[in-house]
Amino acid sequence: MVSQQELIREARENGMELLPLEKDTYELFFGPQHMATENYSLILKMDGHRVVKAIANVGFLHRGFEKLAEYRPWHTNIALLLRICVPEPDVPEAIYSMAVDEIMGWEVPDRAQWIRTTVLEMARVSAYLFWIMGLSFKLGVYTAGQWAAAYRERLMALFEQLTGGRVYHIYTIPGGVRRDIPGDRWLRELKDTVEYIKAKLKDFDNLLFENYIAHRRLEGIGVMDKKFALAEGVTGPNLRATGVAYDVRRADPYLLYPELDFEVPVLKEGDALARAMIRRFELEQDLYILEQLLEMGPPSGPYKVQDPRLKNLPRLKVPAGDAFAHVEATKGDFGAYVVSDGKNKPYRVQIRGPSISHGVRVIEQLLVGARLADVPVILMSLDNCPPDIDR
Amino acid sequence: MEEITFKVAPESKVKKKPSFLKPWLSLKYLFKKPVTIKIPYESIEPAEGYRGFHTLDWNKCVGCNFCGQICPARAIEMTWIEVDGKMEKRPHPKIDYGRCTFCQFCVEVCPPGALGFVESYMLTTEWNEEELQLFDWVPIHPDKFKEIQETYRDWRFPVEKIKFDKETKEVTYYLRNGEEFKFKILGYGIRPPKPPAKPTVKAEEKAQAKPEEKTQTKKPELDAESEKAD
Ligand code: SF4
Ligand code: SF4
Repeated sequence: MVSQQELIREARENGMELLPLEKDTYELFFGPQHMATENYSLILKMDGHRVVKAIANVGFLHRGFEKLAEYRPWHTNIALLLRICVPEPDVPEAIYSMAVDEIMGWEVPDRAQWIRTTVLEMARVSAYLFWIMGLSFKLGVYTAGQWAAAYRERLMALFEQLTGGRVYHIYTIPGGVRRDIPGDRWLRELKDTVEYIKAKLKDFDNLLFENYIAHRRLEGIGVMDKKFALAEGVTGPNLRATGVAYDVRRADPYLLYPELDFEVPVLKEGDALARAMIRRFELEQDLYILEQLLEMGPPSGPYKVQDPRLKNLPRLKVPAGDAFAHVEATKGDFGAYVVSDGKNKPYRVQIRGPSISHGVRVIEQLLVGARLADVPVILMSLDNCPPDIDR
Repeated sequence: MEEITFKVAPESKVKKKPSFLKPWLSLKYLFKKPVTIKIPYESIEPAEGYRGFHTLDWNKCVGCNFCGQICPARAIEMTWIEVDGKMEKRPHPKIDYGRCTFCQFCVEVCPPGALGFVESYMLTTEWNEEELQLFDWVPIHPDKFKEIQETYRDWRFPVEKIKFDKETKEVTYYLRNGEEFKFKILGYGIRPPKPPAKPTVKAEEKAQAKPEEKTQTKKPELDAESEKAD
């Protein structure tokens, strides 16, 4: 038998490098083609079925959005930036538009504000349904996931009527929105859909959120404490699950949120179960907010600002200045910092995505000591969004 | 710093208790009608105003290149076209669906409203070599597109085959309803191409350009007539 040292020496003589093997551990490449990771990969160092060390391996979706945004006219960037968050593309649209509105000094009309708020809430509901789909597939409760996909389809049909697109809406633009609401029929359909999904929440509870097996799988894994979460800049439901009451919709209100009533769920455990419960409750609250919005009804008036400069979009110049706008997405605090130097293109667009904190640094810590079977569950409970990490 | 008050939900409302029996209640769905549809016997129609393929009214287009400037994917190339031996006054956009994101910003900015769109959206082929050329085209007139869309209603591309003759630069669109549509591509870009073998004609045109300014405004009508004769 040749010893390891000899092998290494022989390899070096031939211009190769052999790394010494550690006893009982092996390296596992988890993703990017694994269903749970969605174009994102983890390098796991395993001891048996326990994770010893995890390294997030990102970059499979890198398309350089921020740099590309510097070469396109202001409005055109909407068609680019919304790709940063696939499950809820309205969020990047909204933050960019709100920041540009601020630089331009535009007062967005009431009707546009109502539409923007409604679209953001619809996006939240559909993103949570998407998340239920992911979580239940990872737990093995496929039925609940298929329901969620079917109910999300109803929202996609509504989006299609309103915006003309199913997944990428390209709808919110600086100065308002691109189209008006297609009549009262759409509002009635939205109301029906909200009621329909609300009625179905009970079934989700029965099958998924009150399921004994789901509780056993989720409880006590991926525990994050308050101090760690705050130090790493975790936001959104993941932060609320550690006992911090923070929601951008209340902390820094935008659009119509000051007029709306909703509760912020906070739990102390910080494990995957707490995160799942928080998300489930927020889905309920979002449906409640949509009900309130429908009761309010869209105010009459124009749906975008009346500005002669909007006639010449390719050469629309934005005065020099900068602005930051952020909203509460289902993943966390989503913000955009936009700088203009007075040209017809942005000088800089910086996006602050929520996944960069919990998808890279936090996950590496949370996975240590987890079982291999729990890795997808922890990933899903954090609601990681790879395009947002790679942007 | 000002304290923000959150309306925090009571924990009892957020937390759910595990249960052995409740998951079994979902068995009632066994007796319900499924929400899925049976493709190909049933289908989902795109909503009105779905952002699909483009249409272009060649007589209205003034060749201003606004659409090319706003396009985020740079899918638009201005093309100089000759129909029935007569060069169009202004270039028209050629759209490459390999790049297009279907944002329809080009439709929004078009000053005379020449560009439009219809609901047809099927961007698939059977992957024949010649079919790959299909999706790089100068859009056709909205009326013709809508007519084809009404007859077939399968939301596919209205052109079956595009033939491009490299020597004569002649392009033929074979539409799905059997019609043929012929024109010549003279060149690309915002500036007019140099006519290859007719320098005298160009000089004449230049000389006549100034006195003819009044008649030029009438010319599009002539073009319209010649196209109708097609
Ligand atoms: S299609 Fe419209 S925007 Fe494009 S060149 Fe013609 S007139 Fe201008
Ligand atoms: S719809 Fe296509 S061609 Fe038109 S601006 Fe958008 S990407 Fe460009």
